[in-house]
Amino acid sequence: MLWYKFWLESRLRFLLSLAGLVLFAAFIVFITGKDSVRPMPAKDYHLQLFVAHQYLVGIWMLSVVLLGMGGILRERASGISQFTLALPVDRRRLVGIRFGVYVLESVALAVAPWIAVLLVTHLMGEPWAFRDACFFDSLLIGGGMAFVRLATLVASLIEGEYTAPAVTFGIILIIQVIANAVSWLKPLNFWRLEGGFNYIDTQTLLIVRPFPWSEILLSLLFLLLTLAVSIKAIERREF
Amino acid sequence: MTEMFPAIETRDLSKVYGSLEAVRNLSFCVERNQITAFLGQNGAGKSTTIKCLLGMLRPSTGDASILGKNTRDRAASRVARQKIAYVAENKPLYGYMTVEQMLRFTGAFYQDWCPEMATRLVAEFQLPVDKKIKRLSKGMRTKLALLLAFARKPELLILDEPTEGLDPVGVEQFLQMVVARAAEGITVFFSSHQISEVERIADHVCILDKGRLKVDSPLDYLRQSFRRMDLVFPDFCSEQDFRIPGVQRIESNGRQMSVFVNKNSDMVIERAKYLNATSVEVVPLGLREIFLETVRGS
Repeated sequence: MLWYKFWLESRLRFLLSLAGLVLFAAFIVFITGKDSVRPMPAKDYHLQLFVAHQYLVGIWMLSVVLLGMGGILRERASGISQFTLALPVDRRRLVGIRFGVYVLESVALAVAPWIAVLLVTHLMGEPWAFRDACFFDSLLIGGGMAFVRLATLVASLIEGEYTAPAVTFGIILIIQVIANAVSWLKPLNFWRLEGGFNYIDTQTLLIVRPFPWSEILLSLLFLLLTLAVSIKAIERREF
Repeated sequence: MTEMFPAIETRDLSKVYGSLEAVRNLSFCVERNQITAFLGQNGAGKSTTIKCLLGMLRPSTGDASILGKNTRDRAASRVARQKIAYVAENKPLYGYMTVEQMLRFTGAFYQDWCPEMATRLVAEFQLPVDKKIKRLSKGMRTKLALLLAFARKPELLILDEPTEGLDPVGVEQFLQMVVARAAEGITVFFSSHQISEVERIADHVCILDKGRLKVDSPLDYLRQSFRRMDLVFPDFCSEQDFRIPGVQRIESNGRQMSVFVNKNSDMVIERAKYLNATSVEVVPLGLREIFLETVRGS
C-alpha cells in the first residue's frame, strides 16, 4: 500500500511532466522536420533526433527534480509525518519504496517522450530509429540518475516543502558551472554524458562510440549508495 | 502472555532538546483495561512522551516500553505499533487522498481492521467518502482521524487531544465510543485539555508539569484526597500554623483562610479546631481545580 501512497502523492506532478514531455517531444520533431523532404538525408534525420534529445534532457532534468519533492521530511514540514511514522512500517521501507516509485516514474518520463519522437517521425515518413532512441534513452536514464540521486539525498537531509528542490537546482547549477570551467572535473558534467556529446561524430552526427556501460553502471551503483545514505539519514532523524 | 505487561511503562525517561529538558525522569505505568488521562499545560511534555513511546523520538536517558516492547528497539516498536491505534494532535492526514482512499490505505496495514465498523462509522459521522481530505473541515478531519483508530480492535488506543475541532455532538459520540472500547478490554491513554471530558471517563490520571510527573493516581482517589478547607477564625491566624505535610497552598485574608490539601485533611481540621476556628467547611475539589492546584503549586 505504500506504493499506492507514493503514487497518489506524486501522480499529479508525474502526469503533468509526462504530458509536457511527450507533447514537447512531438512538437519539437514536428517543427524541426515539417519543411524537409521525405525521407530526410540521414545526417539531417540524426541531427533532428539529437536536437530533440537535447531538449528532452533539459526538461527531463527539471521534471525529475520536481518529482523528487516529497518524502518524510517534506511530510514533517507539512505536519503529516506523525501519521506515517505511526504506521507499523520501518523507516527503511518507507524511504526504499518511495525511492522505487521515484525511479520508475523517472524512467517512464524518459521512455515515453522517445516513443512519441519515434511515432511522430515515422508518421512523417522517416524510418524507425530504434538504435538512436535506445542509445539516447539509455544515456538519459543512466546518466540522469545523477539528478535522481541528488534530489533523493537532498530530500532526506533538508526539510521544507519547496526548499529541497530549490537546493537541488542550486547544486546542479554549481556543479555544471564548475565542471565546465575546470577541465579535470569534466566527468562531473552529467549533461554531456546524458546529452550524448561524447558519443557522436560531430560531422555525421552518427553514434560512433560504444555505449558507456562502465559509466552507467557506476552511476547506478552510486544510486544504490545514495539510497543507503538516505535511509541512514532518515533512520537517525528524530520527528 | 502479553497481558502480563502493563500497556505502557517508562523508567526515568528524559528527553532533552539542546538546553530544553522536555521530559524529566518520567516513571509511570499505564495498566491494561483502563482509561488513563494524561494532563498537562501546553509544552508540559505530553506529546514528546507519546512520540517517545511510539518510537518517533529516542529518549535521551531512561527507557520506555509499550505493550511489553522496548521503544528503543526499532523492530519491536514496529510490532507494537501493529497493535496500537494512535490519533495525533492536529490530526495529520494525507490531504491528497479521498476519504475512501485513506480508509483503504490505513486498513491495509492492520490485521485488526474492521471494514464493517469503518462503514458504520462513515455513515454515523456523515463523512463524504469521495471528497479529498484537504477539502474537509477541521471537525470532519478530526472525525476521520478518530474513525481510523476506532475502526480497529487494537490493544492500546493512544489519543492526543482527540476532541479538538469537534462540536458538542461529536464530543459526546467520541466519549461514548471511548467508554465502549474500554468496556471491550481496550486500554485507552489520552491527553486532553478538556478536563470536563477527562473527568467523565478517566479511571486514572497522570499530570505532567514542565516535563515532570506531578500526579499519578486513580481519579477516585484524587477526588477523595484533594480538599479545600475554608476556615474562619475569631482573630488573625498565621499561615505558618498550617504548614503541614499535604498542604498544597494557603490563601489567607485576615480571619479567613482557604487551605488546599492533597492529604492529611484530618490533621488540618484538628489544627483549625485547636486554634479555635469558628467555622470549618470542607469542600471536595473537582479535577479542574486539582489540575490547577497541581500546576500552580510548581
